[in-house]
Amino acid sequence: MEERASDEALERLLTSSGDNAARSGYVIRAVDVRKVYRMGDSETHALRGVTLDVHRGEYLSIMGPSGSGKSTFFNMIGGLDKPTAGKVYIDQVDIAQLDPYELAWLRCRKVGYVFQTFNLIQVMSCIENVMLPMAFAGRDSEEAREKAMEILDLVGLGDRALHKPAEMSGGQQQRVAIARALANSPDILLADEPTANLDLKTGKEIIDLFRRLRDKLGVTVISATHDLKMLKASDRIAWIDDGRLARLSTPAEVNIDVEEVH
Amino acid sequence: MKTEEPQSEIGIQHPPPFRRAFRIAVQGIRIRLGRSLVTLSGVVLGTAFLMSTVTTQFVDRAVARERDARQQLRIMESVLKSRIGSIEGKTLSVAVCGTLTPMDAALLDLLRDAKPAALRLYGAAACPGFEPANLTALGPGAVAVLILGDAPVCPVPLAALTGGMNVPLVIDSRSDRQCQPAPGVRREIFFGRQLADQRDRVAKQARQDRFRTIWIVVVSLAVTIIGVANALLMSVTERFREIGTMKCLGALSVFIRRLFLIESSLIGLAGSVIGVISGILLTLVVYGFIYGFGLVFGSLAYGPLMLAALAAVITGTILAVVAALYPARFASRMVPASALRSTV
Ligand SMILES: Nc1ncnc2c1ncn2[C@@H]1O[C@H](COP(=O)(O)OP(=O)(O)O)[C@@H](O)[C@H]1O
Ligand SMILES: [Mg+2]
Repeated sequence: MEERASDEALERLLTSSGDNAARSGYVIRAVDVRKVYRMGDSETHALRGVTLDVHRGEYLSIMGPSGSGKSTFFNMIGGLDKPTAGKVYIDQVDIAQLDPYELAWLRCRKVGYVFQTFNLIQVMSCIENVMLPMAFAGRDSEEAREKAMEILDLVGLGDRALHKPAEMSGGQQQRVAIARALANSPDILLADEPTANLDLKTGKEIIDLFRRLRDKLGVTVISATHDLKMLKASDRIAWIDDGRLARLSTPAEVNIDVEEVH
Repeated sequence: MKTEEPQSEIGIQHPPPFRRAFRIAVQGIRIRLGRSLVTLSGVVLGTAFLMSTVTTQFVDRAVARERDARQQLRIMESVLKSRIGSIEGKTLSVAVCGTLTPMDAALLDLLRDAKPAALRLYGAAACPGFEPANLTALGPGAVAVLILGDAPVCPVPLAALTGGMNVPLVIDSRSDRQCQPAPGVRREIFFGRQLADQRDRVAKQARQDRFRTIWIVVVSLAVTIIGVANALLMSVTERFREIGTMKCLGALSVFIRRLFLIESSLIGLAGSVIGVISGILLTLVVYGFIYGFGLVFGSLAYGPLMLAALAAVITGTILAVVAALYPARFASRMVPASALRSTV
């Protein structure tokens, strides 16, 4: 029932989210990205030279143990922080060259962010959260409200539009966060351990939602996780260990590993 | 292909309209009421303290002036009585030069209460169509001519004023008023002669008071600034994650800064208004019990007090905004990644 409503919403959104399918090539390229955190005398090498190309429209999982540098990499390719060395290209643009106004523009329209802790604005209702990026994009309020409703329908929360985040379950909050990430029809959906604060079933629902979004909207999904069970939906898996890209694989190869572990 | 000119794909972000930031700021204040109240009470306490200091000055001055006035009125009355005996049943003429001072008005009330046969008023404040020539009709039938008002010069010679009087008697409320004298006319002066050394004392006291007041005002302003800056800094710290999130969603630094400045100016305005009103009322009530409510409320210079209150509200609001400048700048400059990492 809900699924069907969501699919209809998807069809409508397809028209607005536009030209993703038309383009091809790499949507993000990370070239020898390094990050060193300095705190007083101590140095932490969070990334030790990661080179990775992300195809347009793929579902890429970034896998690695806690502290391996996933979040740091997420921040680098999302334009949320500057690498100590190396380059990040989003849509062929070297983001180190962008001024704050261009960076904000990019964060607003090109990339949608989803976090482990949901990070909804607590004082705003669901629909206000979803409309916030639209306001930053300078979009008219009435039109924005309609679009926000459509996206909330899409993630199955159309009937919760006026609820505050605190009144919702973790899974629901994360779906609102995903709706918010989709507000300006981004090319890229970046998620940092989106399921780590959710139970297994809810986590899988979120992963399935990502997969559906990728399939229907053609949005590139990059999702960091340390949970093997969250890898199935992905096209490719990048394994990060101690700030390095250890290997690239497909879920088929991983499933064998999981079997072995059990 | 797009690769040819990659830069052209990236646009320039503009901040959303002001009213959007305003709505979000108000929403934040409403929902974070607890935190907002802490900030608010900082402003309230600061401005209340400031305003009670100022009001104390006003009350002290007004009460002193009022006592002074009452004393002077008593002196006037006795001067008048020593010249013409009882006022009852007699005719008095009054030439008003310029506008009546409060003291003049009090004197007129006093004269009216003494039931004279007639009290003839001439002059600018008393009759709008006033011509100096009218003043020459003051003399006949009157036992005395009073010159009241704040004008430094009497437009008519004393001889003309008192023409036709049996015993010409002119009583002036200003010792320094320029009058053209006339032989055989005595000009008694009511105010301002016996109180010269008392004035000196009051002036010296006022200078000391002013120094103390400035000191207290500076301290209360500093308390306000520090209190508000501290509360807002905490409010910023609390919201690191929210700030980081907003930056991820496309917020410019200017928007974040605006958010905090709107918040602080609204809290500053509300807090100042509450603080100023409560500061005034509290002080007036306390002094009402000390001096008596009639004396305090009757003598207060309400106009200047309202002006001081307005100035205090404006000062309080500006201070709140000034106090927010640093926290707002700090918040707006945070790198989104580090803002998001915070676990506060
Ligand atoms: N802002 C920071 N300051 C100092 N050290 C940091 C910072 N962010 C991350 N680190 C360190 O960098 C390493 C990688 O962290 P992170 O990218 O968060 O790993 P993951 O997300 O895979 O758990 C860790 O050792 C972490 O302590
Ligand atoms: Mg992490």
